[in-house]
Amino acid sequence: MTRRFAEIILLVGFLIAAFALYLSTAEYPKMVQGSTATYVRFLSVWLGLLCLIEMGLWLRKRGREEGKKLNVTSAPFRFWSLLILMFIYSILLEYLGFYIISALFLPVAMMVLGARNIWSVALTSGGVLIFVYLVFAKLLGVPLPQATLF
Amino acid sequence: MIFESLQALLAPSSLLAVFIGTVSGVLVGGMPGLTATMAVALLIPVTFVLEPLTGLILMGGVYCGAMYGGSIPAILLRTPGTPAAVATAMEGYPMSRQGHGGLALKVSVIASFCGGVFSTFVLLMVAPILAIFALTFGPPEYFLLAILGLVGIVSMADDESSLVKALISGLLGLVIAVIGTDPISGQLRYTLGLTDLYDGVSFMPALIGMFSISQMLDLTSTKRIVTDTSTLQKIKREPFPKGLKKFVGLGSITGTVVGVLPGEGATIAAFLSYNFARQYSKKKHLFGHGNPEGIAAAESGNNGCVGGSLVPTLTLGIPGNSVAAALMGGLIIHGLIPGPELFSKYGVMTYAFILSLFLANIIFLFIGLTMAPYFARISLIPTPILIPVVCLFSLLGSYAMNNSILDIFVALICGIAAVILHRTGFSLGALILGLILGPIAESGFAQALIIGHGSYSIFFTRPQAIILWAIILVLLIPPIIQISRQSGRKKADVERQSDNSAE
Repeated sequence: MTRRFAEIILLVGFLIAAFALYLSTAEYPKMVQGSTATYVRFLSVWLGLLCLIEMGLWLRKRGREEGKKLNVTSAPFRFWSLLILMFIYSILLEYLGFYIISALFLPVAMMVLGARNIWSVALTSGGVLIFVYLVFAKLLGVPLPQATLF
Repeated sequence: MIFESLQALLAPSSLLAVFIGTVSGVLVGGMPGLTATMAVALLIPVTFVLEPLTGLILMGGVYCGAMYGGSIPAILLRTPGTPAAVATAMEGYPMSRQGHGGLALKVSVIASFCGGVFSTFVLLMVAPILAIFALTFGPPEYFLLAILGLVGIVSMADDESSLVKALISGLLGLVIAVIGTDPISGQLRYTLGLTDLYDGVSFMPALIGMFSISQMLDLTSTKRIVTDTSTLQKIKREPFPKGLKKFVGLGSITGTVVGVLPGEGATIAAFLSYNFARQYSKKKHLFGHGNPEGIAAAESGNNGCVGGSLVPTLTLGIPGNSVAAALMGGLIIHGLIPGPELFSKYGVMTYAFILSLFLANIIFLFIGLTMAPYFARISLIPTPILIPVVCLFSLLGSYAMNNSILDIFVALICGIAAVILHRTGFSLGALILGLILGPIAESGFAQALIIGHGSYSIFFTRPQAIILWAIILVLLIPPIIQISRQSGRKKADVERQSDNSAE
């Protein structure tokens, strides 16, 4: 996918969102039609207009520009692995609780990203969890997610 | 009275409270997701067992320390510890990648110190007069102040297309800020039935996602944050750059004035100061690529907010921002009611508290200058070790704000969206600015229209509004002229090239 194609998809998406936002203001209560509904309509109109202007600028430059590829990352395995690991972490956080899932996430993520020294991985993971326990849980009293599975 | 206040401040318990408060504040501010408001609020029960003055000084130290502390991870890891450090991240992180993290930290701490001291001095000398000025600001002025903050979006652009994309990004931020509860009618808007969205999209998880998580995803393809380690034999103590005084001065004044206005926070102060610096710098082309002038302006702006925010808090009982509100809670619990009595009957305690803020600034200056070279070593940690740790703290910080799992998903979605938006030329700074200023802009706009019975003239007739419009135009016109000139030059170049190739 070229960068320009990705931009156009995004611009079309924003244009549709702007249109839907404008239409949705009709559902606002009558008492705010002259205040917050006006503000939201103002935002949607300008968002739509600017998307059209940007599309116009793209059409003007189309002949002159080469199709540069959209390069999200130069290390796709590590990039997508990290992202998937973080999503898995977020889903399992409520079930396994903070300490268990973090104790799994940290070493797995480090190894996936290329860490090979087992001692560095273990010490860093353990140190971080102890730090969080002492500072967040004990000192600041921030409630951390507890396991609901057991 | 000042002499008695000094004696009270120099008591061992007071000095210890300043030290512990400031150091704790720096640590809390340095952790994304933990805010100064949270830290001050958590300290209130602790102050029950302390003398009222000791408790106040502790909270004041945390406030000062946290406003500085947020800049440390912002510079080293592009992870703002507090929302006010976003502008600092935009200049400080590129400096870290160039191997100048220690210098960026040095500029940050000195600028923070100057901004903090200036605003505390203003608080000491002219608090009651400034409080009267603060009362003259109403909804139309708050709306225009939000516009003033958003005008910064224009100066982030280099050409026509990036200007349009920057504006689209800012509008997207404003649109996302619409999610939640209508400020006038209380109607729920676009919450998809999720109770966690009733208060809108929390900007802290979004900020963590857009700046921290997206940056960690980007770093997966590198071995270290510092791109060229051959230039680094050791973290050297680089000399302080010349010519930063005017930016520090500008930031200090901006931060103090914005801080005086109730409800306006350090984030707006930092961005406004950054924007002013961008306008008046002779090195505009360096902004966004590691310009210490931007750090100096942003940090002096956000610490300048400390003293400024305490002006309406102590004189009128109207908190300058959320941290001041938490502090005011502590004051009231100890029987100290904001108002004239605070400066007369409890004058010794009040002035001792204000003088302690000077001490807090000196303490974090000392910590920052001595520890900066060591903090900067974080940029040498290999990314396979660093990235998971930062991601964990980012996700934890997103959760800790509201104890909401949804906020973690917000951070992740914003992170991946930020990577794609950045690759396609949209501005993350503009987006986060829109998200932060959206609620202020909407409620100011709506309330002003209600007060003005639907007439837009209310935005143009009040003297304060006219002054704000004048400042908006002063900030808006130069970058637009510059972009038009650049666009004209590019067209001329393209025509010359096509003429040459035709020949």
